[in-house]
Order: sequence, then C-alpha cells, then structure tokens
Amino acid sequence: MISIKKDTAFKGDGIIIFQDVAQAIQAEKAVKKSGYETRLIAPPPEFRMGCDLALEINLVEKPIIERILKNDDAHYLEILPIKKGTAGLCEILKVTDYGQWTMVKAANMKITFDKESGIIANVSGGGCPDIPYLNVELVGKPLAEAPQPKELGFTLCAVMLDRALDECLRLWNGGN
Amino acid sequence: MMLIVGTIPDEELPMTTGPVGLDGEYLTAGGQRIPRIQGTGAMISAALSLTEYLKLEPPHILVAGDIGDGKGTRQMYNYLIENIEELSPDVLVLHYCMPYMDLMEKLCRVVESCPKKIIMIADAGAMYAAKGAGLADKFDIMTPDPSEIAFLADQKATHPAYIAHHLFECDSSKIPQQIADAYSNKSAANLLLVKGKTDYVASEGMVLASINQPDIPILETIGGTGDTITGLVSAFVYAGYKPFDAAVNAVKTNRIAGEFTQPTPATKVSCIIDSFPEVFEKYLQKWNGVCAT
Repeated sequence: MISIKKDTAFKGDGIIIFQDVAQAIQAEKAVKKSGYETRLIAPPPEFRMGCDLALEINLVEKPIIERILKNDDAHYLEILPIKKGTAGLCEILKVTDYGQWTMVKAANMKITFDKESGIIANVSGGGCPDIPYLNVELVGKPLAEAPQPKELGFTLCAVMLDRALDECLRLWNGGN
Repeated sequence: MMLIVGTIPDEELPMTTGPVGLDGEYLTAGGQRIPRIQGTGAMISAALSLTEYLKLEPPHILVAGDIGDGKGTRQMYNYLIENIEELSPDVLVLHYCMPYMDLMEKLCRVVESCPKKIIMIADAGAMYAAKGAGLADKFDIMTPDPSEIAFLADQKATHPAYIAHHLFECDSSKIPQQIADAYSNKSAANLLLVKGKTDYVASEGMVLASINQPDIPILETIGGTGDTITGLVSAFVYAGYKPFDAAVNAVKTNRIAGEFTQPTPATKVSCIIDSFPEVFEKYLQKWNGVCAT
C-alpha cells in the first residue's frame, strides 16, 4: 500500500459558510471556474451540524467572489475572516494493489477498479445516504465514463469518493 | 423486538416501517420492496439471515428514501423521537443516515428517558452523529472500520473526511492505540468492534479479542461487507448473546462466508450474505460458549 498526499498549498484568510455540502460544492466549482483560488475546509465549530463543508478564499477577493456566486445562483450563509486552526479535508490517499485490481482510499471512501479494463468493480466505505446511491451509479462503469460523485452526491462522503475517483483516473491514465 | 433504522438510496421510497421479509433479491416491509445492496439493505439482510436461522421474530425496520438531501433522515429521526417509548425495542440499530447531531441529541434524550433499557447500536452516519455530538458513550456497540476508528480517536473531527493526517496515515498496527484514544476522548461505545484486516473487539480502552482468520483481503473492496457485520452483531445481541460474544461471532461469520464465497472485488454483498446460513449450520453450535480467541 502507498500513501499519496495531495497538494494543499492554498492558505486563504477568508471562509464562506454554507447551509449544506451541496451548496459548498456548487460554489467551489463556480469560484474555480472563474480562476480564483479556493479550497474545501471544515466550517468553524459553531456552524457544524454533522456533515458540513466550507470554502477557504482570499478575503481581499470577497467582492468578486460574491459576484461570481450571485451570477451562478450559488447560495451561501456568510463570508467571514478565517480562524486559526480551521481543519482541512483529509488530503491523504491510500492505494492498495490487489493484483488484477487497484483500490484507492480517500478518508472513509474506497473505489476498486480493474487494471485491465478500467471498470469500477466496487465502491465501499462511507456512512452518508448518498453512498449506496453512488455505488449503484458508479459500479460497472469504465472510470472515464463514471459520473463525478460531487456532481451527484450531497455529502462529505461523496466529496471523498470524488477524490478517490480522481486518483483512480490519474492511475488509469498512467500516473505513478 | 429488534428495530433497524436507516436510509435507502431511493428518492421515491416513503418512510416505511414493519417486520421485514425476503423476496428473492429484495427485502419487503410495509408493502415496499427494498434492494439488498450496500448500506442499510445489506445490514438488514444480514440480521434477517440470523433471525431466520434461529427462528426468531424478524427484525422490524424503519427506513426512508434518502439520496443525501437529508429529507428521509429527518423523517426517520422525528418519527423515532416521537414514538420510541411506544415502540420500545429491545435493540435499536441506527445506520446509514445524514449525521445530524441535533437530531441525535434529541433521540438520545428520549431513549434515556424510556422506562426500559434499549440496547443501542450505531454504525455509518449514525455513528458519525453520535461521535460528533459527544454522545458515543450512550451507545452499547459501535462498529467502525479503520478510517472510522481514526475518526473516533480524533477529538476534533466531526466527520471522517476531517481526520487528522497523522491518524489516517498510520498503519493498522496503531489501531489498538486509536481504540484507547477513542475511549479516553469519550468517543467510543461500551463495546467497539473495529472491522478490518484484523478485527478488534474492545471495551474500556482495552482490546479483548483480535480475529484475523480466515484472511480474505478482498472483502475490504466489496461495498456492504462492513454493513453485514453490523447486522450480524445486532442480531446476535437480539438473540441473547453477550455483546462480546455477538461481536466475535459476527466477524467470524463474515470471514468464513467470505472464504466460502471466494469473492472478487466485483462480487455482490448479497452473495456473501447468502452464505451465512451455511456458516451458522457448520459453526454456530461449535462457537457457543467458546467464542473468545
């Protein structure tokens, strides 16, 4: 088994708070598409309900990011200065070789694919309700044709599954 | 009565409750058909397999369709909070759901006020909510996998996605320490069954048993093979086994069923579950009273 740490260089000084994970995912997509730096992180404890996600941004870019979110009809609760010690998502990926198959694990989520065909053999782990649904949507599909879990899911488990899928795709496309 | 509560990945499924039955590849309850796939469906199927074998009353279920928007989760919690005293289950198993800490707090409060002791078991989203809300010690059994025991050991994390890197990165030899940390943080149930390459049964911070044979590594890749362990331990407890014996029986059953099935990562969890009766027939009597390894 090998561990891979993803790049987490961005350190902004602002945080966008959302009602739920799906709103955060939509906003991340809109901000990134517009070319501004952002990163998914945990909201401060007073905003946590159990399955929560926030966006780290540069506070100086607040006006333009507010405009981007408005144009994208992406809803959020508020934008605040970031507190010290705010937790980021687990960025480590673990890759396990099962001979004909490779399993990639991101936090509590795992995807296993066939090395020869690139077909997703199984999805395991997780505890949020969209995971059994995503299992049905992903299993049996070629990696390149599988839907991105972040597009279909609503939860942090889906976000981690998305990261696992991205790594599977990278490996399938010849990455080391 | 054993009551199993969890979401089903079908937006159209209304909240459904009643005793569960089996119809081919589907579970049936309250006039609804529920697939036996990863998650709550796999967990219920495993529990039903044991209750059928032991000729016990089948599990009662409370399920609702939810694909992650939380609507079904809220319906189930609100129903439970209103009705748990009247339902009065002997064993309450909480499984796949949105990890809403506020609803978990309300539920734990009403369960504590019930005149009868209810054995509480949690896995998946319900376990995340209980830990996040600081209520893990209200539970009798929790069944984390290796990333989830790292989550329980991490005092700050409110979801496994936020596990500290050093806890996620370490190898499985550190699991006993993570178990001890989870207990010292009050983030563990009375009994923990940690599912993995080696399964650990622990209480009060101490590992009481570790089981690693037969070793079927492929089981980790198959969605639902952790859910089946949760279903089995719940059903063994409902059948009157002590939590420790129930946990050891559950992991042994799952491992041996894996050996019987000779799975690949593409094997469906229902194939593993279908081997359980053969395992019970061959081993259950042998294990009675001599469960510890």
